[in-house]
Amino acid sequence: MSSREQILARLRQNRPQGPALPDIDAVPFITFDDKFDAFRTLVRNLGGDAVQLADGDSVLGVVQQRWPQHGRLVDLTVENHEESPSPHAWHDVDVAIVPGELAVAESAAVWVSHADNQWRSIYFLTQKLVLVVPRDAIVDTMRDAYRRIAIREQGFGGFISGSSRTADIEQSLVMGAHGAMAALVVFV
Amino acid sequence: MKNDNINHAAAAAAFLQDREQARWHDSAIWWVRQKRDMQAKQLPEWEQLRALAQQIKAHTLSRLDDYLQQFQANAEKNGVTVHWAADADEHNRIVHGILAAEGVKKLVKSKSMLTEECGLNPYLEQHGIEVIDTDLGERIVQLRQEPPSHIVMPAIHLKKEQISELFHRELGTEAGNNDPTYLTHAARANLREHFLTADAGLTGVNFAIAETGGVVVCTNEGNADLGTALPPIHIASMGLEKIIPRLEHLGVFTRLLARSAIGSPITTYTSHFHRARPGGQMHIVIVDNGRSDILGNDDFYQSLRCIRCGACMNTCPVYRRSTGHSYSYIIPGPIGSTLGPSRDIKKHGSMAFACTTCGSCSNVCPVKINLHEQLVLQRKRAFDAGTLKPAKKMGLLAMRFLTQHPSLMDAGGKVMRKVVPIVPDSLTRHSAWSRPGRALPEMPEQSFKEMWQARQEKKS
Repeated sequence: MSSREQILARLRQNRPQGPALPDIDAVPFITFDDKFDAFRTLVRNLGGDAVQLADGDSVLGVVQQRWPQHGRLVDLTVENHEESPSPHAWHDVDVAIVPGELAVAESAAVWVSHADNQWRSIYFLTQKLVLVVPRDAIVDTMRDAYRRIAIREQGFGGFISGSSRTADIEQSLVMGAHGAMAALVVFV
Repeated sequence: MKNDNINHAAAAAAFLQDREQARWHDSAIWWVRQKRDMQAKQLPEWEQLRALAQQIKAHTLSRLDDYLQQFQANAEKNGVTVHWAADADEHNRIVHGILAAEGVKKLVKSKSMLTEECGLNPYLEQHGIEVIDTDLGERIVQLRQEPPSHIVMPAIHLKKEQISELFHRELGTEAGNNDPTYLTHAARANLREHFLTADAGLTGVNFAIAETGGVVVCTNEGNADLGTALPPIHIASMGLEKIIPRLEHLGVFTRLLARSAIGSPITTYTSHFHRARPGGQMHIVIVDNGRSDILGNDDFYQSLRCIRCGACMNTCPVYRRSTGHSYSYIIPGPIGSTLGPSRDIKKHGSMAFACTTCGSCSNVCPVKINLHEQLVLQRKRAFDAGTLKPAKKMGLLAMRFLTQHPSLMDAGGKVMRKVVPIVPDSLTRHSAWSRPGRALPEMPEQSFKEMWQARQEKKS
C-alpha cells in the first residue's frame, strides 16, 4: 500500500465525531461608518499610507509628488504596460504601480490578483509599492472580501497590508524586511 | 535539530541564571500577549469568531480523509503535483528527489515548523544542497546553528548585541552597530542576492483549501513571496491538519491568525498559491508523521486544530520564564507540550510538567484547544511511562497516599502548621523558599477543612 493509501486508511479509521460546518454569516461582524478612514488610520501604522485621488489629479502625479527622486518606475495599470522577460528582471524596480481589486477596512489589506501580469515578483521586489483601488471597492472585513475575490493571475492572488516588516530583532519594528519598504494605496 | 535529552526544569533553571535576560524575555513576550488583547477587544465578535474557527476545524477533523482527497484532486486540476509522506524521513526524501531531479544547488526557505520537525535542513545539506532560511529570525538561528525558540518569533531569546556580533562575523556588518534597522537592512541586502540566485523555493503552509486545491502562506516579511515568485520550483510542505474546507473559511481564520499571533489585524502578505509560476513547477507534500495517530486519541486529537499562532506560548507564565530552548520538542510552550508527548512520551515527558495549569493558554487559543487539560492528561502518561525523576515520582506517590488517607492528611497538615513557623532560617536558607521573590506563607491557625466545619456549625 502506498503512503497515501495508508494515511487515508488511518484517518478514516480514526475519525473523531465532529459538528456540521457552521454558517459563518450567522454571526454579525464589525462594520465601519467610514471605511476609508478606518483603512487609512490602520495602514499608517503598518508602514503605508492611503489617499483618495482628488479631481484633476493622476496617480502618477501623486507618486511624483511623494517621491520626486524615484528610480525605475513601472506602471502596470496602463494598457499595453511594460513586460519583463523574466521574474528576476524586475529586481531594480523602485516604484511599481499595480492594480488592487479590493480593499479591506479592518485590516488595511488590498487584494492583488492581476489577470494580465506575467510575473508577480514585481509586487515583492519593488522598493515602493503603489496599489490603485477603485473608490467603491472597499469592504468591512475579510469575510466580505473573500466573497468578492477571484484568483486570476497565473493561479496567484494575495492580500497586501502595508509595507514589508519584521520585529525579529528584539521586537523592534523595522519596515522593509524583504518586500516593499513603503506602500501607498490610492483610491480612484 | 533539538537535543532530545532536555529536561525542562533543569534547562529553565540554567536560563534563569541570567536574571536580566530572563526578565527581558518575559516582558518582551508579555507585550505581544498585550497587543493580542488590544486587537481582540476591538472586535465585539471575537469570542464568536473563536467558536466559528473551532467548529470549522472540528468538522474538518471528523472527515479529514475526504477533504484531503478533494484537496488533492483540485490541486492536480491546477497542474500541481501532490506527494504524500508517512513520516519525516519520507518527506525529506521526497523533497530531495524533486530538487535532485532538477539539479538544484540552492534552496531558499520560508518559515516552516514542519521542516524543523522533519529535520529537512541537515538532510539536504548532507546531500550537497545549500539551504538558506529567509525569515529574518530563522536566518539568525540558522547562522547560529540552533533551533528556533518560538514558532512565530524564532530569535526572541537573543539580544540585539548577540545578533550584531553574529552579523558582523557572517555578513560583514559594522562591529558594534546594534541598530535593529541597520541589521535588518543588512540581512535584506544579503538575502536578496540569495532570492535572485536560488534554484528552488520551499514554504510551509498556513491553510490548504480543499475546495480550490490552493495553499495560503502568511508572512510579514515577504520572504515566502520572493522565494516562490523568482525560482522556477515551489515546494509547499504541509502537515495534513492544515486543511480547511472552503475559501470562505479564510474569512474567519485570517481574522484570527495575526491578531492572536502578533497583535496585528493581519500579516503584511496573505498569499494564495494555486499554480506554479509560468514555466515552473509547484509541488505540495502532505505529511502525516504521527498526526493520524493523534487523531485516533480521544484525549489529544483536538490539538490537531492548532493553527500555529503561538498565542499559547506568549501567555504562558512558564514559557515566558524559561524560553523555547528549555523544551525538548521542537514546538515549545503549551501546544508543544501536548504535541511532543503525544509523539513520544519517553523523550518529552518533562514538557507535560512545564505548566501551572492556570488555563490561560486555553483561554487565548483562537481554535479553543483544551490545552491545559491535555497537559494534565499528558502528566499521567509521563508518570505511567516512568519518565519522572525519582524525587518527583516519590513526591507524587506520597501525595497520592496522603490524599487517599484523609486522617493522615489532617494530621500532616496540623504538624506542618506548627512546625514550619519555628523552623530555623539556617535550614531554609538553601531551599527554593529562600530565593528572591519567594517567601514561606504565614501558617494559618486552622486548616481549610476546620474553617469550613466551624462555619457550617455556626450556620445551623
